[in-house]
Amino acid sequence: MAKRPQLAADTRPWRDPSAKPFVRIRNVTKKFGDVAAVDDLSLDIYKGELFCLLGGSGSGKSTLLRMLAGFEAPTSGSIEIDGQDMANVAPYNRPINMMFQSYALFPHMTVWANIAYGLKRDHMPKAEIAARVDELLKLVKLEPYAQRKPHQLSGGQRQRVALARALAKRPKLLLLDEPLGALDKKLREETQFELVKIQETLGVTFIVVTHDQEEAMSLATRIGVMNQGEIAMVGEPTEIYEFPNSRFVANFIGSANMVEGVVTEDEPDHVRIHSAELGTDIYVEHGVDCSPEQILWWAIRPEKVLLTREKPEPQPGIPDGANIVKGYVEDIAYLGDMTVYQVRLDNGRYMRVTKTNMRRGDPDAISWDETVWASWAGASGSVLTN
Amino acid sequence: MGQLGRRLRLGADQLSLNLPAPVSSRLAWIRRGLAAIGISGRALVIAAPAAWLTLFFLVPLAVVFGISLATKEFGQPPYSDLLTTDKGTVQLTLHLSNYIRIFTDPSNIYVNAFLSSIRIAAVSTVFAILLGYPMAYAIARAPDRWRNILLMLVILPFWTSFLLRVYALSGFLRGEGVINNTLAVFGIAPLTMMQTDFAVYVGIVYSYLPFFILPLYTNLVKLDPSLLEASADLGARPIRTFISVTLPLSMPGVIAGAMLVFIPAIGEFVIPSLLGGPGTQMIGRILWDEFFSKTNWPRAAALAITMLIIVVIPIMLMQRAQNAVVEGRR
Amino acid sequence: MGRNRWFLPIAASIGFIFLYAPILSLVIFSFNANRLVTVWSGFSTQAYADLWADPQLLPATWLSLQIAAVSATIALVLGTLCAVALVRFRRFRGKTVLQATVSAPLVMPDVITGIALLLLFVTMQGLIGWPAGRGIVTIILAHSTFCTAYVTVVVQSRLADFDMSLEEAAMDLGASPVRVFFDITLPIIAPALVSGWLLAFTLSLDDLVIASFVSGPGSSTLPMIIFSKVRLGVAPEVNALATIIIGLVALGVVVATIYSLRQGGKAKQA
Repeated sequence: MAKRPQLAADTRPWRDPSAKPFVRIRNVTKKFGDVAAVDDLSLDIYKGELFCLLGGSGSGKSTLLRMLAGFEAPTSGSIEIDGQDMANVAPYNRPINMMFQSYALFPHMTVWANIAYGLKRDHMPKAEIAARVDELLKLVKLEPYAQRKPHQLSGGQRQRVALARALAKRPKLLLLDEPLGALDKKLREETQFELVKIQETLGVTFIVVTHDQEEAMSLATRIGVMNQGEIAMVGEPTEIYEFPNSRFVANFIGSANMVEGVVTEDEPDHVRIHSAELGTDIYVEHGVDCSPEQILWWAIRPEKVLLTREKPEPQPGIPDGANIVKGYVEDIAYLGDMTVYQVRLDNGRYMRVTKTNMRRGDPDAISWDETVWASWAGASGSVLTN
Repeated sequence: MGQLGRRLRLGADQLSLNLPAPVSSRLAWIRRGLAAIGISGRALVIAAPAAWLTLFFLVPLAVVFGISLATKEFGQPPYSDLLTTDKGTVQLTLHLSNYIRIFTDPSNIYVNAFLSSIRIAAVSTVFAILLGYPMAYAIARAPDRWRNILLMLVILPFWTSFLLRVYALSGFLRGEGVINNTLAVFGIAPLTMMQTDFAVYVGIVYSYLPFFILPLYTNLVKLDPSLLEASADLGARPIRTFISVTLPLSMPGVIAGAMLVFIPAIGEFVIPSLLGGPGTQMIGRILWDEFFSKTNWPRAAALAITMLIIVVIPIMLMQRAQNAVVEGRR
Repeated sequence: MGRNRWFLPIAASIGFIFLYAPILSLVIFSFNANRLVTVWSGFSTQAYADLWADPQLLPATWLSLQIAAVSATIALVLGTLCAVALVRFRRFRGKTVLQATVSAPLVMPDVITGIALLLLFVTMQGLIGWPAGRGIVTIILAHSTFCTAYVTVVVQSRLADFDMSLEEAAMDLGASPVRVFFDITLPIIAPALVSGWLLAFTLSLDDLVIASFVSGPGSSTLPMIIFSKVRLGVAPEVNALATIIIGLVALGVVVATIYSLRQGGKAKQA
């Protein structure tokens, strides 16, 4: 789900070199004993973003979030929020609120009391607290449940209470730890919409930690992919997906056919790579920062490959024999909206190709054991040098 | 306080982060005051119980040790001074006579008492294990509804008075007690059960059984049933599954429970007093007599120290076993 | 278990019968007309009348109840502080010593604790004049000390299972650590605190050995009176008192079990 036109390209702060980041994480390291959970990590997050930290377990994303919240102190490095250095600032003094993975609702308090708790800590007058809590209950659509206790609510309802409680104090920054993890698929999709809507309406900066790629891609304005305590890549979802900067990112997000090759032609307007693994030459329609004879990798997403029964005409500008391989369909997985083909190439290697099912019950669809040609355009793949 | 509070609240609304501490709370004032003297809240939490326990537990043990090195004297208190000042010199008089007497008394009363205490405690522990293991196992395997009721039945005697239960047992075992009266109905001659070692065994098992059952039950109930199923799946009959799988895995629970019976049983006083005879010499009773009947406080103190040393070894073993369980869980 | 299916229930039943038979006989014979207590000769409540008239038993009961209430409360405070220190503070100097000191009374024979505390009080009296003579105060001090160990164990195990994210959530919402303890932690571990207090109360009420060592003239506790009576033989008024105590305890335990079963019915809390 791409971001709405509200945030047009020229209002995306991370593209503006003079914009001041709201959160500055500078060279932060966190060590537990000898193990560095977060290793010399630097990151800037701008106001109004819905930023996703995406990574597997052990990537350090939760540790980083806890450091932002104040539950862990960095071993070295600094964290600034809204211009203020957060060193030695306790969690109860930060302008941040957090929505916990387990929701952490106080079991001995009603929904109303849970949401009001943060406001009471600020010594807000009773009338104001009541008004604010009612406002939030309306926002998350839980008005009739105000006097219930957490154990009397469903999972989705508890999640909404946790969200309301975290928004009660109007934090400038909201941290969310796997917010949709405990919900089933349908509920997750609905909640994704609601979360984004709330974030845009309130203008709060969100930092979401997740291991779920789909969640990150659909929620985020920008994604920070983490691996072993470091940031592998930061960018908008399209950049991450279509222009990964490393093999790790290419493999981590979605799936990719990745092969090794050696550069045979290195020109400013094109690059030719010979890949023995693929059994063909790859013609890339733009210049790449590399050197002749350099060994590198090339990846292409399954949906960018075209399967045909006959050898297609070479596209203009592509030399004959490049960007095309022959093989046969060994396995097919029908997923309803698309079909996944496991193609065994002539040289024995496998290629994964997907195709949207544009026609209902297509009698002409490619089937098992059929010989096929797989081809792709000159700019469809990514050249990866690390 | 109100004015200041209001101003600070306004500051908080503007998210000024220059508040050094949550000063809007009265407790924070106290904390800042203490911090000024260099005391943190954490230190207080540790210090209060630590100070109490040091004064009322560690110091007394040191005092006992000190007095064990005195001799019996008439007067208040009935023991000699360790430190005496005489014409400007301070003299420290330590008597080792109590300890020497404990080990070399011609009638060997003390050594025998120690040995028989350990023996009686050990035998009772074995009986407790034999009786308690099936009970714990049965409760752990019982259906959920029954389990709570059975646990309640095990715990209930524990909440009634220990003394009264031993008294109840004496009523059961004595010459004209319930058992003998029942036997008399069948024409069987009365058994002498009171004032014997046997009565003490029964008494200890009776009183400490819940202490054995509970840790063992906790261990057994956490046993993964799929392990037993895997064993059966691999061809083991129930007995073999029990011996090879359940028993070894329940060992930490058995040891924990056994220690909770064995260690206190060594120093038991009430049970040998009410149920044992003149032949049942347990060290708890000997200590009591030395203290109250013979008013030989130093001798009693020496006995206490000796008993402590004997008991410390199983305590340390138990701690190590418990730590192993905790580490394993982590 | 095949043909051995009856082994377990029978062995367990033997155990339960063993546990309850003497108690039941105690209760039954409290209604015995015969003073010999163990030979039934008719129903009578004479023992209860004797109990009511006894000059020692009821005053001692009242004294023991008061001592138990005070000791249990002191032990609760100290034990909770100890448990917090041992569970929440990762490292501090003397942590192992504190852990050992707090666990020792659990297994140490009473006679050692008793004589140690008495000698302490005597020495203190000699040095600073307080406590002046042994009595209620010394008993309370002694009971609080050994009961703290039990309270610590109970609270410690509850705290160890506590869901820390609740405390973090409270801090995130602006509560200082002390606030978090009183607003969140304490209410949620309250059942453990209650059972710790009850445990300490029962142990104090029941203690014979330590009280014998540290009590003074005029401060005889209930167990001390009972002990002196039953040493000499059977005492029907003690049976009567025992029946009343057992009845109250049974009632309490049953009520508590029903309550906790109903609590367990709700979704598992922190």
